[in-house]
Formats: sequence, structure tokens, C-alpha cells
Amino acid sequence: MSSVDVDPGADRTRGDADETPRRRYELEDLGFDEVPKKYRKFYRRWNGPGDTIAPNEALCPVCKVIIRSPRELRAGDRLYCMACMTRVRIVAGENGGLETETLY
Amino acid sequence: MTNFLDAYSIQYWLESCPQGYLMDTDYGHPADEKEPALVIEDPVLRDAAIRTTVQLVVGERCALASSSGLVGCAPDAPSQCFLATQTLDEARHVEVFTQRLYDLGVKKKELEDVIARYANPNLVKFAEILLEKVDKKDFVAGVVGQNVVLEGMAFSVFEMMETVNRDPNPKFAHTLTGTIADERRHVGFGENRIGSLIRQYPERKSEIEQMQKDMSYFMLATFADNFRSNEMQQEVEHARDELDAGARGDATWQGVNLAQAEPAEIEAVLSDTILKDFQARLGRIGLAYQTPAKPRVAA
Amino acid sequence: MSGSGIDDVHALEPEDFIEEVHSFEHWFEAVEGYLKGLDHGHLPDVAEALLTAEERDRLIATFCSYAVAETAALEASSGLIAIAPNRHAKIFLSTQTVDEGRHVEVMLHRLRELGVPDPEAEVERRAGPSVRNLRKKILQLVEAHEWDAAIFAQNVALETMEYTVFRAHARTADPITRDLLERVLRDERRHIGFGENELGRRIREDKKRRLWLGTVKSELDSLVLQTFEEAMEEIGVPRWDRPSLGRDYLETVNRLGLV
Repeated sequence: MSSVDVDPGADRTRGDADETPRRRYELEDLGFDEVPKKYRKFYRRWNGPGDTIAPNEALCPVCKVIIRSPRELRAGDRLYCMACMTRVRIVAGENGGLETETLY
Repeated sequence: MTNFLDAYSIQYWLESCPQGYLMDTDYGHPADEKEPALVIEDPVLRDAAIRTTVQLVVGERCALASSSGLVGCAPDAPSQCFLATQTLDEARHVEVFTQRLYDLGVKKKELEDVIARYANPNLVKFAEILLEKVDKKDFVAGVVGQNVVLEGMAFSVFEMMETVNRDPNPKFAHTLTGTIADERRHVGFGENRIGSLIRQYPERKSEIEQMQKDMSYFMLATFADNFRSNEMQQEVEHARDELDAGARGDATWQGVNLAQAEPAEIEAVLSDTILKDFQARLGRIGLAYQTPAKPRVAA
Repeated sequence: MSGSGIDDVHALEPEDFIEEVHSFEHWFEAVEGYLKGLDHGHLPDVAEALLTAEERDRLIATFCSYAVAETAALEASSGLIAIAPNRHAKIFLSTQTVDEGRHVEVMLHRLRELGVPDPEAEVERRAGPSVRNLRKKILQLVEAHEWDAAIFAQNVALETMEYTVFRAHARTADPITRDLLERVLRDERRHIGFGENELGRRIREDKKRRLWLGTVKSELDSLVLQTFEEAMEEIGVPRWDRPSLGRDYLETVNRLGLV
């Protein structure tokens, strides 16, 4: 699913404190049918606490859907959950991992 | 009652509307259709298109406020469900006509100002009469005002506009085709559901008939403002100069060739068609049609 | 909006995202994925399970209460359109109105499938008292044109409760009920999200509004919890195995800062 990163640039939708290149991901439709077809590849269902969340994925805190990005996520990135219409930001968690917080 | 209301269910609506005639449309028309270059580039035609579309947005905003306001005072669940579908139909109409304003070059930040500038004051008064009934939670008067008078007017206006635009502007004509299909359900519900309620509450008749008379007056006044204005005369002449006869196509509606008729003739056939339609529909549900006063010609 | 080759949805400008997700077009393309080909809210080829008389009766009582909750949501969402502060909210609430209307319709139809000859009369007779009180309270807020409080009551409190109850019920329900509820849940996700985001935007920099909403929340808490407990009794979930409504609800109010 992933390929070697060719994404060196910073942009305004992303947190770019870390300048190292990001891994890119080829997204495919995983059957999440609650958003228009053209957006389905950006989401998948969450299978509960045992579900492994990939580096390009984040759990929507509001509706518990997995949001997917074509790039590895970093703190400061902005994501949209189209299933519940929420904007979220990726933040560094206390345990060193990444977490999400809502942006109203 | 339950059986006939099954035809107005959300199940039926889902199958006929989102999964039917709206499939593969983008804001109500095929995605590859655009406003004709002439309408976008010619300032007179563009201005006329914006002014006309603003009236449609105003009418549809009224219909949205009215149908949503009636859900809570409907007497049974099937009527509530039908009005829920109508609410969404009306919201869709607001959206597609608003999108047309954007397609015509109105900036998003300017939208409300443009609407306030061009909205016909008589159309606003027409809407206020209806919304006053809805605010009072008067279901019977509200449905007559909305689904017989407002929707009856919209049905004929859209049909006429669809005829005029069929050849020169297929994008707008297709948008109108979808709204006409929606209006058909709305007027059908109005007639079918309200007849029994009128029989149940005969004492309400005279008040509702007066509402029809008042709304009809402001409708005619809106048409008079529109068709008798100097701007309209100039726009019609200009459009005919710019579009050759071939591009205008066959625009015959109710026996009148709209591509050649004078604005006064178009106003007459539109008003006459709608009022006759009101008379027939009201007669079928047990109300006596009231002839409205003739609006004064604008100075 | 109709283009299929979208490289990164997350690169949209925030205003474009808001406009997109609140539109009829978005709703229309979203529900197509899970409502196409259904028969009154469930797949047509799902067989009816064999239910005992007691199980059937309990399920009827449950759907009677669900129908009241969904009718409350239908009446409230339609009533809120008139006072919505902008066009996006009006159009979103119109989509919610038809979602709620669909829920009322499929639940009344489910009662018919379960052998109830007059579902509306059955609902009137059997729906639980707490859900009726909650409906009354929500509609009072709508009537009073209290936009923030009504959105909180409906799109946060009521919808979160429904979301939790329907998920719990779907886990143990007969196949038709499960399929029906799982499709209702897909709608609820939008409604909950709209409520939280709308309130979040409005109270972000308005301390007074946040305090006022905190008061509304306190007033609603006991009613919501009573309704939740009543629903859990009806669907027969043992007390020790009940999902925590508090968890979902508290997470939301925490994010909104309404503690």
C-alpha cells in the first residue's frame, strides 16, 4: 500500500516542523459507504481498540471513523472527517504517539 | 388515507428522486452542461438571468421555511414524512438556484446583497402571508398556501421557463425539469391530503379563501412588476437581437410562442394559466376560488 | 464537485469543506451508498427471525419508544430550519429532516412487519414516559427559538443517546432489526457531527454562551439518562453489560468545554 516518499515540500495544510521526507500512500476504496464515492478512499471503518492504525491514518474523535491521508501524518497536520463533518488536527500525544483534536 | 399516503412516503421519494431522475446530475443538471457563453458574457442578459434567478431563490426559501414549519403541526406520521421529503426538495431547489447565481458570476460574499437588491417586494409580501399561517401552526391554511398556491404558481412558472430555455440554455432547462418533477409531488399532496381536512373543518374555508385571494394578488403584482418594466422590454428586445430564430427554437407554451410574444402577452398567458389552475384545484378540494384584485401598472 | 480524481481531500480550504459537507449534493451522494435498493430501511432479502411472543412484544415496545425519539428529532430538526443562522445550516437541517422522517417511517413499518395493525396508535399506547418527556423538552427549546440549546438537546444529547442505544441493540438484534439500525446509525454520525461542530464554532470564543449551555446540559442530564436506562431495559441489556452512555456523552461535552 505504501511507496517511498517523494514528498519533500511543506504546505499550509500540514505540520512541517519535521523536514524529513514523508512516506506516501496509494489509497484505495475500502468500502466505507457513508460519504460520496469520490471521497470513500479517504475513510475506513474502525474495528475497535485492537485495530492497528497506520502512520497515514487517524481516528476521528467525534464519530470513530478512521480518516486516511495519502501521506504519513505528523503533528500539526489538518484532516477532515466527511462522515461527521469534523475538522481535526494531529497533535503529539503524551506517550509519544500521534493523537487528534477537534478544530471547530 | 394510509394507502394513498404510501405514494408520498420517503421510500417512494428515495426511489423516484435521488435514485431516479436526479441520478448523475450535478446541481440538478448533467455535469458537463454550462451556462451559455452569451449569457455569461453579455451584461444585459447576465443581469436579467441573475434577476430572474433571485426570484426563484426567494420563492424557494419561502417554500423551505414553510414546508419545514409544517412538519411539526402535521396531524399524522405519513404527512410528517411527506413534508420531510418536501423540506429537502425545497432545500435542494434553494441550493441549485443559488448555485446558478454563482455560475452567473455572483460572488459568494455578495450573495445576500444581490438577493436583497433584486428580490421583488411583492413576492416577499406573497411569502409573508403564507409564513404568517405557518408561524401560527395552521396546518390546513399552510398546506393550501404552500402546496396549492405557491407550488401551483411555481409549477407553471418553471414549466414556462423550461420551455423558453430548452434550446438556448439546456443546463438551466434541465435544472428546471428536476424541480418541476418535485413540484408535481407537492401539488399532488396538497390536493389529496387537504380535501379531507377541509371537509373536517368547513368553518376554516372563508379565511383560507381570503388567503388565496391575497396571495394571488401579490403574485400578479410580481408578474406585473416583472413583465411591464422597461428593463424587461429592453431585455427581451436585446435577447431577440442576439439570438437568431434557430437558437431560440420552438418555445410554444399554452399555445403562445414565447420566442416571439410581447412581454404583456406572456404575462397574460402565465397569469391566466395559474389562476385557472388555482380555480380547478381549489374546486376539487372544496374551496371557492376568489378572484384577486388587478394590480396597478407600475409607474 | 463531481470530479472523481481527488488527490487529497484534506487539502481543501476549510470554507470549501464546510460548504461541501453541508450541501444537498453531498448528502445525496453519501446516502446513495447505503440506502439504495432497500425495502423500508433494510435489505429486501433478509429473512424474519423466529421470535417468541415475549421477544416480539418486547421488540414492539422498543420500536414504539424509538419512534417517539425519531419523531422528536423530525419535529425538532424541521422546526430549527427557520431559526438556523445561515444557509448551510438550513440546508443541512433539511437533509437531517428527511433522515429523521425516514427513521420514523422505517420504524413504523417495522412495527407493521411485527404484526402491529395500527403502528401510530401502538406508539401512542406503549412508548416509555421518559422519551415522551425528552421529546417535550426538546420541542420546548425549539419553540423558544433557543438555537444553541435546541441543537445541544437534539444533535448532541438525543443523537448521542440514540447512537449508543442503537449500536447496543444492533449487536443482539434479529437480522432485519440489525440491518435497519445499522443504516440508521450511518445517518446519526452526520447529525452528531453537525451538532458538535456547530456548537463548537459558536462557543469557541463566547464564554457566556458556553456557561449557558452548561446549564442547559445540567438540566437535560437526568432526563437523558432516564431515557437511556429505559431503553436499555426495553432491549434487555443487563445492567452490568450496558455500554456507557456517559462515556460518549462526556467525551463530547468535554471537547466542547461544557463541564
